[in-house]
Amino acid sequence: MMRKISYGLLAVALAMTTASCVNDDTDMDDIIAQYQVEPVNIELDYSELVEAADVPITDEADSAYNDYVENSSWNKVISIHYDGNVANVTGSVPGVIVQASGAHVTVMNMSGPVKFVVSGTTADGSLKFYGDKRFQILLNGAAITNPHGAAINNQGSKSLYVVMADGTTNRLKDGATYTDVDEEDQKAALFSEGQMIFSGSGELAVEAVGRGGIRSDDYIRVRPGTRISVNSSGLDGLRANDGIILDGGVINILTTGAGAKGVRSGGVMTVNGGRLVAISQGDCRIETTDGVVDTTACAALYCDTLVTVNAGTIKLKASGDGGKGINAKQHVVVKGGTIQAVAVGARELKKPKGIKIDGNFSITGGNLYSYSRRSDPLDVSGTTTVAPGYVTYSLAPKVLTIAY
Amino acid sequence: MARSERKQLIACLLVLCAALIPTPSLADDAGLVLSAEASHKFSKQLTAGFEAEFRSRNDFRTADRVSLGPSVTYKLLPWLKASVDYNLLIDNNREDITYQDDGVSYNNWRPSYWGVRHRFNVSLTGSYKFNRVEVSLRERWQYTYRRTRVIDNFDFDNGEWEDHEVRGKGKNVLRSRLQVEWDIPKCKFDPFASVEFHTTRDLEKTRFIVGVEHTIKKTHAFKAYYRYQLTGSGSDEPNIHMLGLGYTYKF
Repeated sequence: MMRKISYGLLAVALAMTTASCVNDDTDMDDIIAQYQVEPVNIELDYSELVEAADVPITDEADSAYNDYVENSSWNKVISIHYDGNVANVTGSVPGVIVQASGAHVTVMNMSGPVKFVVSGTTADGSLKFYGDKRFQILLNGAAITNPHGAAINNQGSKSLYVVMADGTTNRLKDGATYTDVDEEDQKAALFSEGQMIFSGSGELAVEAVGRGGIRSDDYIRVRPGTRISVNSSGLDGLRANDGIILDGGVINILTTGAGAKGVRSGGVMTVNGGRLVAISQGDCRIETTDGVVDTTACAALYCDTLVTVNAGTIKLKASGDGGKGINAKQHVVVKGGTIQAVAVGARELKKPKGIKIDGNFSITGGNLYSYSRRSDPLDVSGTTTVAPGYVTYSLAPKVLTIAY
Repeated sequence: MARSERKQLIACLLVLCAALIPTPSLADDAGLVLSAEASHKFSKQLTAGFEAEFRSRNDFRTADRVSLGPSVTYKLLPWLKASVDYNLLIDNNREDITYQDDGVSYNNWRPSYWGVRHRFNVSLTGSYKFNRVEVSLRERWQYTYRRTRVIDNFDFDNGEWEDHEVRGKGKNVLRSRLQVEWDIPKCKFDPFASVEFHTTRDLEKTRFIVGVEHTIKKTHAFKAYYRYQLTGSGSDEPNIHMLGLGYTYKF
């Protein structure tokens, strides 16, 4: 009897031991899969973009009227042709003084609208403008490198129309170190104190190694048909203090500098069309001022005020430590277009986020995709309004998708 | 002991156990303890043995621990014995999940993993026999050491697997066990009951055991028992009901 009981107990024990092979972990496979999803691929895109015709505003009462180069008369023309270490200047306009020192050209414009046709190549040259008159630079196959500062520097506060001549590729490059002049700014390879309006179907390629790529202390407007690319290992790619308006064009920006922004607007940023691809790869920039340490992360798009997207395509990617796809200090309003914001950077000094908005966020149309590998895809400090009527609304741990 | 006295004693033991054992909860776990031991008596005072043990958890479905090791016991006095033993513990460490501040979103997940620990015990057991009832008190100093090792951890913030270092550490525990055994005349089963407290700075565990032992010709001993382990408030481990089966071969 006892033997039977013993064998019975032994059999039960062996059976239970054999059965003890189940893992008691929580089933995390599906959950982890949501956290390990890869983002859409975002890379610089130089392909052709079919855009609606760019129709200049003809209503003089329109605040944008003066942004159209077509609305001014350009019968005053001066040509500047770079040829190595010299610059050949042809044409003269009363009230305009052009001085060339080697290939470094300085223009004093006290006349009305003047068109400067710039062409040729120099590895040690520049073009600087003074005068509070609006003017046009027609880039007609120019390649200007200034090892000592900005390639083009406009110290005037009036409109600068930068027109890329059809079929031309134009290159501007600054130097690693700038030789500054007292009480004069030169903040980028292409710098203007006044507003800059880009147009023309040619191509502009800016390489910045010292400071920014393109910068205005006023605002920047980019018109349809324009092709601009900026590769900056220094500071921001495209920056304007008082606002950026993208009406169209193909814009590609790559920044690799610490804390650099692909596109940075101090004023209202409005996107009405075109295709913008901005990739910021820099890690955090750490600065100490008066003993106070400031850590700044990179962002593909950074705006101090309102961002409004009405149409167009914006593809943004930040891959540096704490980098943001969009970092908006106030509100973001999406009414149309396509936005893809991706943050794949490390999370050491700062949190990387696809979209970070300190104000309110509202979307009433278009397509939005935001991805954060190491944080939430959308971080809104204020209110979030998603208007009804969307086709897709999907919020996963790392991805937000909204489509109308 | 008269029959009526036996009944009273059994009733007292049952009341004592009922009073000590808290009400089990549905969240409690259940598992099995299987052990096998071989021991040899070298003299009247000195006994040496080697024991292997297996434990399960998760309602008997998951292996929890395998341990094995030698022990030496020396009878200092007729009522006092000392023992020293070592155990190699191979643990299936439970998973660990941490959450964000919202208490809902995941923060980190460390899956369960097998790890090795080394345990040393030094015990003193004093016993006293009232007729056929033996009461013993065992005080045990237990030192357990684990080495540093690196294991996988999923960081939900970063969305990736990372290396997580489990730091090596040693832990001292004082285990106090009060046990009552009853040698029933002409009965092949000897019942026993015990309560044991595991104390560090706080009370970490309390174990309540009731069981029976059956010995055949002083060579084979079988033990079957029920154990309820109550964990302290500082532990993530659930309370657990355990069924224990033990076999000892004495030679």
